[in-house]
Amino acid sequence: MLRFALTRILMSVPTLLIVSVSVFALIRLIPGDPASLMLGDLATPASIADLQARLGLDQSLPVQFGIWFGNLLKGDLGQSINSQQAVLPLILQRFWISAQIVLVAVALASLVAVPAGVLAAWKQDSALDLSLVAAATLLLSIPTFWLGLLLLLFFGLRLEWLPVVGYVSIAENPWAGLLYLVMPIMTLFLHEIGVILRMARASTLEVLRLDYITHARAKGLSEGAVLWNHAFKNAFGPTWTLIGLVLGNLLGGIAVVETVFTIPGLGRLLVDSIFARDYPVIQGCMLFVAFTYVLVNLVIDLCYPLFDPRVTAQ
Amino acid sequence: MNRRLTCAFALLALASPATAQTINVALNADIRSTNPGVNRDDNTDAVVLHMVEGLVGYRENGAVAPLLAEKVAVSSDGLTYTFTLRQGVKFHNGAELTSADVLWNWTRYMDPKTDWRCRSEFDGRIGMKVTGVTAPDPSTVVMRLEKPSALFLDTMARTDCAMVAIIHKDSLKPDGSFDKPIGTGPFMLGDWRRGEFVSLKRFDAYVSPPGDKRDGYVGRKNALVPEIKFLAIADGATVKAGLISGALHVADIPDSDLPEMQKSNSVQVVTAPSATKHALLFQSRDPLLSDVRMRQAIAAALDLDELVAQASNELGKVNNSAVHMASPYYGEVQRQRYDHDPARVKKLLAEAGYKGQTIKLIANKRATVPSFPVAVVAQAMLQAAGINSEIEVLEWATQLDRYSKGNYQMMSFSYSARIDPAQSYNQFSGAKDTYPSKAWDSRRADELIEKATITADEAERQKLFDELHKLMLADAPLIFLYNQVDTAMVSKRLRGFAPWVASKPRLWEVGLAD
Repeated sequence: MLRFALTRILMSVPTLLIVSVSVFALIRLIPGDPASLMLGDLATPASIADLQARLGLDQSLPVQFGIWFGNLLKGDLGQSINSQQAVLPLILQRFWISAQIVLVAVALASLVAVPAGVLAAWKQDSALDLSLVAAATLLLSIPTFWLGLLLLLFFGLRLEWLPVVGYVSIAENPWAGLLYLVMPIMTLFLHEIGVILRMARASTLEVLRLDYITHARAKGLSEGAVLWNHAFKNAFGPTWTLIGLVLGNLLGGIAVVETVFTIPGLGRLLVDSIFARDYPVIQGCMLFVAFTYVLVNLVIDLCYPLFDPRVTAQ
Repeated sequence: MNRRLTCAFALLALASPATAQTINVALNADIRSTNPGVNRDDNTDAVVLHMVEGLVGYRENGAVAPLLAEKVAVSSDGLTYTFTLRQGVKFHNGAELTSADVLWNWTRYMDPKTDWRCRSEFDGRIGMKVTGVTAPDPSTVVMRLEKPSALFLDTMARTDCAMVAIIHKDSLKPDGSFDKPIGTGPFMLGDWRRGEFVSLKRFDAYVSPPGDKRDGYVGRKNALVPEIKFLAIADGATVKAGLISGALHVADIPDSDLPEMQKSNSVQVVTAPSATKHALLFQSRDPLLSDVRMRQAIAAALDLDELVAQASNELGKVNNSAVHMASPYYGEVQRQRYDHDPARVKKLLAEAGYKGQTIKLIANKRATVPSFPVAVVAQAMLQAAGINSEIEVLEWATQLDRYSKGNYQMMSFSYSARIDPAQSYNQFSGAKDTYPSKAWDSRRADELIEKATITADEAERQKLFDELHKLMLADAPLIFLYNQVDTAMVSKRLRGFAPWVASKPRLWEVGLAD
């Protein structure tokens, strides 16, 4: 297993290299630069050139890339042009905030959606199945920003149960911190239920049609035993993969939810940095997101043998 | 059930960002730093200027008045400025302000390593040059200029220069890098959580400038609440929810949200004209728009009253002048404007040989400026007059890049507030070969602006600004539409808050009712 993990991590190196080169190049292809933005409408060509020189942006792109990549190999992602903070601690600090929302939301969504999906498949074409599929489709179709605003209006403004703006860290005040996280978690939870439920239902349906399920039923096994021991374990693979993809996606990009609920997470950091053309932060964030994606999917792959003995981590 | 509800509300109280005596202000983005005049933007200036003060500052109407200085004496040749400091002013660390502090700050600001935004304004690179600063005694500072300048005090008071804030030496770390602002303002830095909020605490030993009421950045400046908190909230809908729920006490909102918010029982709208200018720029080097008749035709095609009413939700008033409407230099001549005249449009288009070419009009969709609504209404009016135009919506950084390079035909753009008319004209006038961002390339205009920067006599300056306005209307390098009307939504619990010409919130002399 260790060898498998190491091989997968090594295989991700070319991916991360491609990400770093393409992000570095693409962000510089977009018009606008940090010096102009910092100086505003009174900037002169000379003042822009001065500031660019101070920020090291006057050097050729290969030289800039070389410096950045050299530092990267030493574990230094540089310093934010905007806030002048070191990029890596900044990303880690923001990532932790996003991660606690995403991990809880996806875990809760999986706990609800997977059994619901299996149930819907088991009762295919019944009223229960149709209701679950309709609910899943509806939740999947609602944009997260709109869902977030609805929750904000209902729980924040109408019922006044939850705080509308601001953020308190759980480490600082667990109870207060939890209240600030309820609505963002609920938004993602509701949205991801739709995604996971549909996959769980589809893969269970596929398995339920196979001969060995008919054989199990013919042996006189109870429906519960057929579903849990024979159908679910085989049907869970694709859903598990999807959960991994969802996690990877969300860990790098819940900017919309973070913006609606004023959560200072990684997504907002990335979006703000793009608007401010804060190159070191953009590059650092993108690289970190890519690395997280690879790592999450590696963990997902390593977990397969736990529920499907046909798969080995070799 | 009741017990559960009580528990829930107890938790809410714990979680609330607002304690009873904290004023919460929404900012559309986090501040960039707490270093006065260095790595800054409008939000940064607004927050930092609660903690620091300069020798002089703006009054409510934009005139300059002493702040840390008690009085300012100007020599008859206009070259020497003598600042007498107020007695008993204390820094946040308890140290008393002396002329040595001013001297130390000036040396720091003029050091290129500090990266002060306004160094070039005082070192002769763009005109004005301070040749020497001395401190003959602990309460006197003397500054000497190379040439007389009518803009010296105004530049010293500029908010983007952080009012040449006087901070204590201990604001720097032992290695010389900036640590935190130890200023003389009514509030001092509490906590800055990047991406979340910056909180300021009341400075109990604050010595207010004289005055019986608040007056811009001068006048009475006592902090009435123990804490103010500026929260970074990017989403407009969240800001509105925060205001209605009472979690926020002050927020700027786009004009378009005004009717909806006016229905709320918990907030009120306060407005004030500012010196920010909204304009339609022409690229006079464009083959089509290089013909002044074409630019005049566009100006005559616009029903400016209707355009401004639509774009500002009927708050703004047409002002085709670079002089803001609250300025003492805004007179009869500055009221002269372009008239909507369809017959003249036809005549000018025919004379210019217009053959229906499409003009690209660049705009952005930032909520803080009316760039896009202005473009949409202008496009419809141009279309009605037989002028084809197409709107190109750009993200702000991209538009600013195009503006800086002069790479546009027409652009819906907003200029930040400049109080003095000469500085306002300087924003858009100059040689395009050297400064591609300048909209107006006229030698005569540059001469007049240059004169206005060195002439102190108000009547003489008025004549210069009058001539400049007439020249600009004739040349039509751009069309100023109106001055921004700052619209703030304010909690009904808040007492004493008012927006003003500098477009920056001020939270001193502001309290919260129980």
